[in-house]
Amino acid sequence: MIEVRGLTKRYPGRTVLRNAVDGIDLDVPEGKLVTLLGPSGCGKTTTLRLIAGLEKPDDGRISIGGTLMCAPSEGVYVGVHHRPIGVVFQSYAVWPHMTAVQNVMFPLRSGQKKLPKPEARRRAMEALEMVGLAEYADRPAPALSGGQQQRISLARALTREPEVLLLDEPLSNLDAGLRDRVRDEIRAVQQRLGITTVFVTHDQDEALAVSDEVIVMDHGRIVERGLAQDIYAWPREEFTARFMGISNSLPGTVTSADRDMAEIDLAHGRLRCLASGTPAVGSRVNVFIRPESLVLSRKDPSGRGWKGTVEFSIYHGDCWDYHVRVGDTLLRSRMYREKIGLAHGDPVFVVPEQETAIAITETPEGTADERTAGATVLAATTAADAAGQGEL
Amino acid sequence: MSLLSRSRPAPPPPTLLPVHRPARIGRLVGWFRDPRNLLLAVVAVVVAYLALVPAGTMAVASLQTSFLSTAPTGWTLHHYTETLGEADFWTLVGNSFGYAAATAVISTVIGFGLAYLVTRTNTPAKFFARVAALIPLIIPGILNTVAWALLFAPHTGALNVLLRDMHLPAFNIYSLAGMVLVQSMHVTPVAFLMGTAAFTSMDSSLEEAALASGAPPWRVFRTITARLIRPAIMSAVLLMFVQTISTFEVPQLIGVPGRTFVFVSKIYNALQAFPTDYGTVGVIGVFILAVASGGLWLSRRLSGSGAAAQTITGKGFRPTSTDLGRWRWLGLAAFVVFFLVAVALPLLMLVWSSLLPGYEPPSISALHRLTLANYREIWHTPGLIDSVRNSLITAVIAGAVVTVISAIVAYITVKTKVPGRGLLDGLATVPLAVPSVVMGVGILYWYLTAPIPLHLYGTLTILVIAFVTIGLPYGLRYIVPGMAQIKDELEEAAATSGASWLRTFRTIYVPLLAPSLTAAFLYTVIVAFREISAAIFLYTQGTQVVSVTIYQQWSNGSYPIVAALGVLIVAFLALIVAVVSLLTRKTGLNRQ
Ligand SMILES: Nc1ncnc2c1ncn2[C@@H]1O[C@H](COP(=O)(O)OP(=O)(O)O)[C@@H](O)[C@H]1O
Ligand SMILES: [Mg+2]
Repeated sequence: MIEVRGLTKRYPGRTVLRNAVDGIDLDVPEGKLVTLLGPSGCGKTTTLRLIAGLEKPDDGRISIGGTLMCAPSEGVYVGVHHRPIGVVFQSYAVWPHMTAVQNVMFPLRSGQKKLPKPEARRRAMEALEMVGLAEYADRPAPALSGGQQQRISLARALTREPEVLLLDEPLSNLDAGLRDRVRDEIRAVQQRLGITTVFVTHDQDEALAVSDEVIVMDHGRIVERGLAQDIYAWPREEFTARFMGISNSLPGTVTSADRDMAEIDLAHGRLRCLASGTPAVGSRVNVFIRPESLVLSRKDPSGRGWKGTVEFSIYHGDCWDYHVRVGDTLLRSRMYREKIGLAHGDPVFVVPEQETAIAITETPEGTADERTAGATVLAATTAADAAGQGEL
Repeated sequence: MSLLSRSRPAPPPPTLLPVHRPARIGRLVGWFRDPRNLLLAVVAVVVAYLALVPAGTMAVASLQTSFLSTAPTGWTLHHYTETLGEADFWTLVGNSFGYAAATAVISTVIGFGLAYLVTRTNTPAKFFARVAALIPLIIPGILNTVAWALLFAPHTGALNVLLRDMHLPAFNIYSLAGMVLVQSMHVTPVAFLMGTAAFTSMDSSLEEAALASGAPPWRVFRTITARLIRPAIMSAVLLMFVQTISTFEVPQLIGVPGRTFVFVSKIYNALQAFPTDYGTVGVIGVFILAVASGGLWLSRRLSGSGAAAQTITGKGFRPTSTDLGRWRWLGLAAFVVFFLVAVALPLLMLVWSSLLPGYEPPSISALHRLTLANYREIWHTPGLIDSVRNSLITAVIAGAVVTVISAIVAYITVKTKVPGRGLLDGLATVPLAVPSVVMGVGILYWYLTAPIPLHLYGTLTILVIAFVTIGLPYGLRYIVPGMAQIKDELEEAAATSGASWLRTFRTIYVPLLAPSLTAAFLYTVIVAFREISAAIFLYTQGTQVVSVTIYQQWSNGSYPIVAALGVLIVAFLALIVAVVSLLTRKTGLNRQ
């Protein structure tokens, strides 16, 4: 449905030697919700705005529903208001001089196809009903709460029945309780209408909750993509693993490997881990272990436990996080039942669950960034040369 | 849900640009094909034209051997050497600078003094502060001048009669001192406003720190308050100077009868003479232009650095007020005296004169001669009603044009990333630095000589052009902050809803900006309606505007008619001002 190839965007006058969006390829299948997930400043918003046509790319091509929307090299650019899109903005962008229903009617009255007023109003009311705001239709927009405004904004994006829905951090301005409700609402409506959707967020829980597919971004590039549950269960890249909150990482060496599994030698013992692409025996890897996969016990009947001492514990309501020092490393273990009486200095055994830890081939610290930056500078200069020579 | 069942609209055809055009030109043509960009470009060109033509023409005239004649022209510096070599010119410079400097200092001292009282002490004068904001708008300079001339008329002026009754020498208003007095009364409220702004934005914790260090209040005032406010004071002095040196009414009505010439009156009278020495006029015009832009530039710089100093802190910002104790009544008295002198006296004088068949000082015996005949007479004075109509037409058209141009310029500078938008913003404020007189003469010269097929000289259009140019910076001052308050997403949301740019501008920006647009419109109407310094050079027989009529009726000695007309104008302007301030208060837009 949405097809993006080699999308590149540079902001003029930026001193940072990186493109805001750096050669992104992206496919959003019909009716699916794809999330762009990544830390602040990684280029999610820029990507979304490029798809919407609110920014013009320096390179690449974007098509929606098989129609080419944008390709600078071919001089094609379809104006924002000609694109079959609906956008929900981070700040709602509900027009303050209109009522709720006037906001929702606007696309029907001002778009390419102008509906007569009663018809537009009828359809706007349907959309308002869908987001549960029918009784607020004639309220002035500023008299609505943040959550209501965000739902108005969603209804407005949908009334025109766009081919694709674009949402930029639609929940980030809402307070915690409301966030979950509006999130569920968005997913419910999206699945009911079967509308192709791109959802931008920096919050991995939010991304996992709503997505069919998650695309992890960093520094204007795609790091990894996959089904939500796959990205969660088995990230293939270090960046993803860290970003998904897998906080325990231990260096190790591969001792044997077969398809999808490897034996890893760690400082404290040996562990069977998930490993993609059959790493070579003897190669260095980082092993990522979820706090939930580290079980604490006072005794070690299996003999696989690592001996450590408790540093401190944090209570979360439904679970406890114990920070345990094993050798030089501080490991975090999450327990859903209290280990009664564990306090600072107590000896304890940390037993890692087999086959849930993830081994990822090590990228030497720091050099990953430099490599990316170097490549980008090169790409940028050659692109600039090309542009300077008038599209050879 | 029927949203689901309805079929999707067919995707719109993509607007494909021809591919085989040379890339650059193709891109350029494509850029202009967008109606938005076309509009932006047109407005930019118009603004540049308006801003640069008058001053440019003036400069050219000063450098040509025979401007505006059939003889072949060449380039020369002759006018400069000749004019600058004359002793007369330097007398003129002395007079002009003396007049402007004295006015600037006096008005700034009074204005800032009163501002200090109202912002930093518990002087109960808030009411006056609010009224002061409106006075300079309501009383046009020409009426202020006329009123003072009536008050101090050599034999019969009300104040001179009073002085003689007290056995004091009469005051000769037709002198440099008289000019300074009249102009000071007119510009002091503006200095007061600047002072209020400066004192309000100054963080008083700096003063409190000094007090807490053991410095007595007077010392704190001298070493902290006065030092911090100094850039604002300098900036105000320069602005008052620039405004004084470039307006017409006081030099002509007060200065010329006493044979005290300054730049403006010299230019006016040189243009009345025959054969006209366009070169000399050009030289003087360029000279004022240089002085004015230098002064304005310096003023901006000073107030800029002052603002930086004023925002050193920011948290816990709270202007404290010194308790003056019983002295605060003295502060109030200062306000009352100032308002009696600067506002009440001239206005009452106008009203009084408008009710008598011929001019005479106020007395009991005159009371039974009071009549409304002058107001009736207005309708029968030839050309007078026409000039009111001309004024209304030109002011309203200028207001509308300024509003439209300002809205688009504000859009370009605030909402777009178009290269050169900073330049556009600068161009739109150039008219501030061009004295109205230069504006008038420059426009006059240009439309007399310009190689364009339109003959605008002698039409109302040329006046509209002048008023639009003069009003543009003011229009922007109202619209830019309003534009900046509107978030970009509100426009983007409309675009992603399928609305074209023009439609977005109409349905989103215009309604949201409505209060700013209305205020800009009305303010420009006021500015245009009062304007005389440029209009005096541009009117012809059929295109007289009301300010010019006042001047002419005054020159003819029809004082009662002038007074009656003045009273009506003040009432009319007061009405518009009331609407503007209501609007700006309602929208919470905060400006001077
Ligand atoms: N208008 C702009 N001008 C210059 N740089 C920008 C602009 N918008 C975004 N950037 C830069 O581009 C990068 C990507 O920004 P953005 O797409 O907003 O990130 P995200 O939405 O993922 O937080 C950032 O480094 C940001 O500073
Ligand atoms: Mg963002």
